[in-house]
Amino acid sequence: MTDEKEFIAQLLNPKTQNAAFQILLSQYQKPLYSHIRNIVLNHDDADDVLQNTFVKVFQYLKNFKGESKLFSWMYRIATNEALTFLSQKAKLNGLTSEALQNKTIDNLKADTYFDGDEIQIKLQKALVTLPEKQQLVFKMKYFEELKYEEISEILGTSVGALKASYHHAVKKIELYVTSN
Amino acid sequence: METFKLENEPKIKTGFKTPDSYFDDFSAKVLGQINEKEIKVIPIYKRKEVIAMFVAAVIVIALMIPIVNNYTKSKELDEATLETYLSYQSNINQYDLIRELDTKDIEAINKNVVLEQETLEDVLSSSPNIENLISE
Repeated sequence: MTDEKEFIAQLLNPKTQNAAFQILLSQYQKPLYSHIRNIVLNHDDADDVLQNTFVKVFQYLKNFKGESKLFSWMYRIATNEALTFLSQKAKLNGLTSEALQNKTIDNLKADTYFDGDEIQIKLQKALVTLPEKQQLVFKMKYFEELKYEEISEILGTSVGALKASYHHAVKKIELYVTSN
Repeated sequence: METFKLENEPKIKTGFKTPDSYFDDFSAKVLGQINEKEIKVIPIYKRKEVIAMFVAAVIVIALMIPIVNNYTKSKELDEATLETYLSYQSNINQYDLIRELDTKDIEAINKNVVLEQETLEDVLSSSPNIENLISE
């Protein structure tokens, strides 16, 4: 924790800021990319959202009070950015969020940056049928392999509630895949 | 149909890939964007400053209105001060004043001069140099 405080101090000090931000970028770009990509699904959108996320992180660093960990704070920004991006994109195309996600999944098959077969597509289609929170929990637990404690810090939900959400999500996905 | 069980399956990967060397130049891209944003921020900030200065100026002017009003008012002389000045400080004598009177003023004076007979007698009898007045 002291290390993190020191690191945050370096991020705020104009002299060490650039070097510290480079470290932050190299540490978090991959996990945050996966997190965002799992929400927005295609690479170009994930790239946009990831850039915005880091720009926001940089802008709001001076307001970061340290009451949560840097890790969960950044994940929270990334999640909000990705969800806002999705709802804006849906509105722009006159679609519901669900319809937009289905369309994106259909396009995945032709995406150069997607290397999956039927089961991946089916799993994504099953995920779309879930409520937003359950989707998030499932993706963070199953794909990103985050701990419940970490997810709890990011989403501000108790571990018990997260376990229940994950359990519901798994059940619904299994039902969907079995019947489709 | 076989029931699908997630835990019985081998781990399903997302299948998402990134372009080669995407992460190599990602940080440069972000830093470039941050610098661009910082430059863009300046005009908005400046405009805010101008608005702030304008608001401050309006407030100062508003606060000055009562002071200015007071200042101009105090320059206007009230009647009593004017009379005192004319009678004690200036070298205008009553002949100068009389010369300035027009008919209307004279009529006005005439009206004031009309006195009751009794009042007149009282004044005359109480005045010690009535003899002089009569002889004049």
